[in-house]
Amino acid sequence: MLRKEQNDYLTQTDPGTPMGDLFRCYWMPALLSEELPEPDCPPVRLKLLGERLIAFRDSEGKLGLIDEFCAHRGVSLWFGRNEECGLRCPYHGWKFDVTGQCVDVPSEPKESGYAQKIKLKSYPLIEKGGVLWTYMGPPEKQPPEPEYEFCTVPLNQTFMTKRIQECNWLQAMEGGIDSSHVSFLHRGDLSNDPLFKGAAGNKYNMQDLSPVFEVVEHDGGLLIGARRNAEDDQYYWRITPWVMPCYTGVPPRGDHPMHGHFWVPIDDHSCWAWSYDYHPTRPLTEGEVAAMKAGKGIHVRYVPGTYRPLANKDNDYLMDRAAQKAGKTFSGIEGIGMQDASLQESMGPICDRTKENLVGTDNGIIMARHRLMRSAKALKEKGVIPPGVDPEHHKVRQAALLLPRDVQYKDGAKEALKAKKGVRQASV
Amino acid sequence: MQSESARVTTAQEARYRIQYPNSKTRAVKIIALDAPSAQIIDELAKQPWSGATFFRALSFSAESTPGRAGEGLSSWLNDLAGRTLDLVGEVASSDFIVVVSAAGEDARAVSVIADACTAHHKTLVALVVPREGATDADVTASMGHLRPFARMLVIAHDADYIAAMLTALRA
Ligand code: FES
Ligand SMILES: [Fe+2]
Repeated sequence: MLRKEQNDYLTQTDPGTPMGDLFRCYWMPALLSEELPEPDCPPVRLKLLGERLIAFRDSEGKLGLIDEFCAHRGVSLWFGRNEECGLRCPYHGWKFDVTGQCVDVPSEPKESGYAQKIKLKSYPLIEKGGVLWTYMGPPEKQPPEPEYEFCTVPLNQTFMTKRIQECNWLQAMEGGIDSSHVSFLHRGDLSNDPLFKGAAGNKYNMQDLSPVFEVVEHDGGLLIGARRNAEDDQYYWRITPWVMPCYTGVPPRGDHPMHGHFWVPIDDHSCWAWSYDYHPTRPLTEGEVAAMKAGKGIHVRYVPGTYRPLANKDNDYLMDRAAQKAGKTFSGIEGIGMQDASLQESMGPICDRTKENLVGTDNGIIMARHRLMRSAKALKEKGVIPPGVDPEHHKVRQAALLLPRDVQYKDGAKEALKAKKGVRQASV
Repeated sequence: MQSESARVTTAQEARYRIQYPNSKTRAVKIIALDAPSAQIIDELAKQPWSGATFFRALSFSAESTPGRAGEGLSSWLNDLAGRTLDLVGEVASSDFIVVVSAAGEDARAVSVIADACTAHHKTLVALVVPREGATDADVTASMGHLRPFARMLVIAHDADYIAAMLTALRA
């Protein structure tokens, strides 16, 4: 349970809010590279942390992320002409470069210097691992580039999608660290989904339905270990990393690519669910990429031409009561991504946590909230840089491994939990 | 036509979530396993709680591990007023048990408490809290002691976490 003021504190990320300030300490995924494929391509509107922005790639390939609205009379620059190193407003022809600087006000003589006085707010936009990342905080505090492993491996080893989720970021992110729902909601997908099935470890999941949990802090966030009995005095461990504020990793299965998410606030009532899949040491196979594109694993199928899932609240998520009854799916919704999203959206735009009744095994969620609140407070009161900003904190891996029963995973899985170039993931 | 899911998941509709309580107060018993964690618990107990009660394991030395000197489990808890209480009775009348251990301290008392929990089908949550000067090895040792008995084992970096957790659990 959270008190109302705590729930507000954690869920609101508009400019000037404590959690908004916290988010503005990090590089965050803003767009897929494919959304701005080439110089002078159409600009893209987006909203992040409650700020409406427009992104474009100029004639020289430079990336810009600026205020969506023209400084003259407030027209959306989505209608703009992306030409000759700038975005030109179609209303009266004002033109802005990738830094938001106005470079042309046709009504005024060039020599007057009028254009120099006009500048739209802008944020840096960088390309890494097929993702365009932005940092929306104070320029003097801009951290080094993100180093999550999925964005540092060669492009043929990594695959990223995003989908819009129509609820607050926190209830979506909490799903990513809520290890105890997997045995229920996603039951069935382990044996059917091409991106999960066949792993030796799957049998431990099926055999032992009441895992035991351990929550340990790491520099950038948390490690949430779920332990199940295995043979020979061993435990089967699945370890989920959370890097502050909104990165989560799903423990791997066999040699399948490793996956996980970012949960990035759009505004207080919606977020982007980013889903990565990568293999640390080999290219993804054609079959794997085809499955990901077909919405398998943690990915989804889309309403054509959009990043909105095909199964969405407007069609009741294609609820299939017969499949639910037959046990084909546990909730009646198909696909892991939408199984999660449908339930999280059903909580309402912002989950009312004053009504919830958590249990001991929800400590991962309790601890994550605690760390977020503590970090936002330390940032506000003392300017302390929060965990997860330092790129070293990004170099954590999810893991699935067998360990002797008397070895604790913080020690036994120490190496497995580190991202290391050229080293295969620890996975059974 | 708008689907039902679309209609009911708006902010406007969220206002109609009914406001009747959906749970009763749960009796959470928090037991300090050692002297440093007992200190933390003494402080915590001063705050207002709805269903939490705080105890210390009666003895902190390994020699007096219950069962050894033929002691019954009944002599094994102290409430904060210093009264000796019957462990089994306390566990039986709880909804779940939280044990708190300071890193590197003797946590062996947990096994007796866990036995009582097993007998009465209660979940045991174990928290390791920091202690001045404790090393990584101390934390590892504590986890080793607690692991076999806890359904959920949490390593907290700040003592504030106990209060945060208890509040989250409506204790
Ligand atoms: S059982 Fe967990 S939300 Fe309903
Ligand atoms: Fe899930």
